Amino acid sequence: MSEQLESGAPTFLDDYPKEAAVVKAALWSSFIALALGAVFGVIQALHRTNILRLIDSTDYYTVLTAHGVLMVVSFTIFFLVGLFTWATVRSFDRGVESIRYTWTWYGLMVAGTLMAVVAILGGFVPQTDISADVLFTFYAPMQAHPLFYGGLTIFVIGTWLAGADWFWSWRAWKAENPDERIPLQAFMVLTTMLMWYIATIGIAIAVVVFLLPWSLGIFDQINPLLTRTLFWFWGHPVVYFWLMPAYLLWYTVLPTISGGRLFSDPLARGVFVLFLLLSTPVGIHHQYVDPGIAEGFKVIAMTNTMFLLLPSLLTAFTVVASVEHGARQRGGTGLFGWLRALPWRDPAFTGMMLAGLMFAAGGFSGMINAGMNINYLIHNTIWVPGHFHLTVGTAVALTFMAATYWLWPQLTNRRLFSRPIALAQVVIWFVGMGLMSNAMHVMGLFGVPRRTAEPQYEGFEFVTSFGSITELRLQLAIGGTLLFISTVLFVSNIALSAGAPKLSGLGKPLSEPLSGAHDSPEILDNLKLWFGIAFVLVVLAYSLPLASIISRGGVLGPGVDPVPMIIEPLGATLEPLVASLQPLLGRLAAVVGGVGA
Amino acid sequence: MSGENTVREIGHDEFDPYGTLALILIYFAILSVMWVFMYFVEFLGNDLTVLA
Amino acid sequence: MNIHNYEKLWLVLAMVMIIGFISTVVYGATAVGIEMVNDEGGTIDSTALEEDDRFAEPRVERVGDNEYEAYVVARQFIFEPDPIEIPANSTLTFYVTSPDVIHGFEVVGTNANAMVIPGEVTELTVELNEPGEYGILCNEYCGGGHHTMEGKLIVQPEDEFEQGGNDE
Repeated sequence: MSEQLESGAPTFLDDYPKEAAVVKAALWSSFIALALGAVFGVIQALHRTNILRLIDSTDYYTVLTAHGVLMVVSFTIFFLVGLFTWATVRSFDRGVESIRYTWTWYGLMVAGTLMAVVAILGGFVPQTDISADVLFTFYAPMQAHPLFYGGLTIFVIGTWLAGADWFWSWRAWKAENPDERIPLQAFMVLTTMLMWYIATIGIAIAVVVFLLPWSLGIFDQINPLLTRTLFWFWGHPVVYFWLMPAYLLWYTVLPTISGGRLFSDPLARGVFVLFLLLSTPVGIHHQYVDPGIAEGFKVIAMTNTMFLLLPSLLTAFTVVASVEHGARQRGGTGLFGWLRALPWRDPAFTGMMLAGLMFAAGGFSGMINAGMNINYLIHNTIWVPGHFHLTVGTAVALTFMAATYWLWPQLTNRRLFSRPIALAQVVIWFVGMGLMSNAMHVMGLFGVPRRTAEPQYEGFEFVTSFGSITELRLQLAIGGTLLFISTVLFVSNIALSAGAPKLSGLGKPLSEPLSGAHDSPEILDNLKLWFGIAFVLVVLAYSLPLASIISRGGVLGPGVDPVPMIIEPLGATLEPLVASLQPLLGRLAAVVGGVGA
Repeated sequence: MSGENTVREIGHDEFDPYGTLALILIYFAILSVMWVFMYFVEFLGNDLTVLA
Repeated sequence: MNIHNYEKLWLVLAMVMIIGFISTVVYGATAVGIEMVNDEGGTIDSTALEEDDRFAEPRVERVGDNEYEAYVVARQFIFEPDPIEIPANSTLTFYVTSPDVIHGFEVVGTNANAMVIPGEVTELTVELNEPGEYGILCNEYCGGGHHTMEGKLIVQPEDEFEQGGNDE
């Protein structure tokens, strides 16, 4: 497959060496998080299936918190900022406005991550008060160390500044090119960031207004339903924040590597606008079985969620059609025979296609999750992690890894260490996730819960209608182990590529869409308009539920005390630890003149 | 833009993605059947439906 | 705007599917009568459950012919009362709340599955027709002993319940 590596074109590194350094740093941050996350992942897969228990079950939740935060905050979002920097610079064909500014937001994101990770890993060290065994969702009144909330805040501020960087480039580019359409990749970056600005309002209020001051002891009580609802205000659109970089790659890179051209630029723009409009006013679908929220609000969330399927279904068609175009240009024929003409030996292509295939399956379990009353069947069972390991865990993660095989040589001017290992890696991921996710979905239908160290209870057994729980556990553990092996292969392949000789001409230009930007209505590029509509939709969807929650329980709750989540191994009670925190909280509270803890 | 493996150039107007249409119709059929199975067999056929 | 006819066809089919999904859920909510857990359970001061007549003593109460109410406290890491005992052929409404953190309340292998949030009372009603035993588990992470948080729901034959369960 060497023909794809020798286009002779200059690479991104040749054209934009300073920006390439930032992109590489961001991707490395992402891969380090992925590697650590994978270690924690395989520990869980073996622990909860009772195959190999290396840790105490109380520490399982520290491991789970670390796995969740590293994977869905650090791995995904560091990759996003790296990719979006590449896409913005590439598609505007201009460097960033200030490389110092760019390094600043990257530095903030790293600092935020380190703070949160220190707080989480503190959970392994009984001698310290630092701990954040609160999982990725950090539902109050479970309380983490302030370092955890502070780290998240700084990380999110970093992403806001990153978005501003790309808008800054857009302004500068527009001043020089007043009559041109926004290039497609930049359009995707900008609409995704507008969605992110709206979505992060929820998490910013939850953390900065409530959880951080509460963890510092400035006030004692909290309304758990309010902070939980604010979490999901952000918690659903964040999944599209993970997904949009994968969509960007499917729309703009996959057609080229399959030998074809994007079927329709206007449709791609339309899809990103729909995501901007519909990603946020849906978060209550995570709360279908919550008390304190009227059924009417749940019906509205469901309707919005169902229509949010539309842009993904449209994407399926456009992306597959673009790949078919490539296959036909490569000489493929027949109703399905064209599939054989595709470059299956290219790990970047195969990885993205397998990721897309798994997304089709994950799409189905997502439809079930979205269906309001059927949520009773699967809510908080292991079906749910089964679902999101297909979506963020494969559609996103595998696409990122596959795209790295394509992008990395253009950032380093070195070939990949081994393409056969890369091809094996993406296939192993697909097989491993197929096993693990299938077992999780099936066990979920039998009521096996998620987020549980030992789903082996004393008073009852899970009744299966087919297969046995033992078989399913084994399937899950084998799948999880394969995923771990696949991650090791990926990260070491990229690391070893640093030893490959420097080459020139590894650049790979992207093909133009069949139906280009000029076919699409100008209004699609009116970002102010779409941002305005998106904002109004969010206000409509959330103002009444939030008002109702506040009027029921009060801003600071109907009387709920904090429960610091410091878990001592060996099952000691929480009381001495709470007591040891009291003086600290009291001092801080006294400083700010609040009520003492 | 054409790669070295391109044996012919196909423009927008001469390209009918009928293979994609066939695949997506199969997907549509699978989704519909699975939805009916999950809702009416797995969910409504399950114990203890919440009635108020 | 240049949209291929096949793509228009798919757009229509996708909309049909979405509307089909919504219609199925509406059918379940109306014709079958499945109700979502909602805001009707009311709020409660979670630091003072012992002053509440329902939750000071978690228990099952008979409120009518074949109608029972269970006042359940989900706390780190137990459910009270445990077991919950009820005669067959009865309608049972659970009222569940928590004095500490968020918990889950799942009657294992059934559709009775809801969140328990401190400060709120979760209310859900089910019909129990056949005698039998169900496990109850917490399906929301609630702390280091989360995996041990379980309970039991025992549906007794009607004649046996009159003898064993009447003296509460």
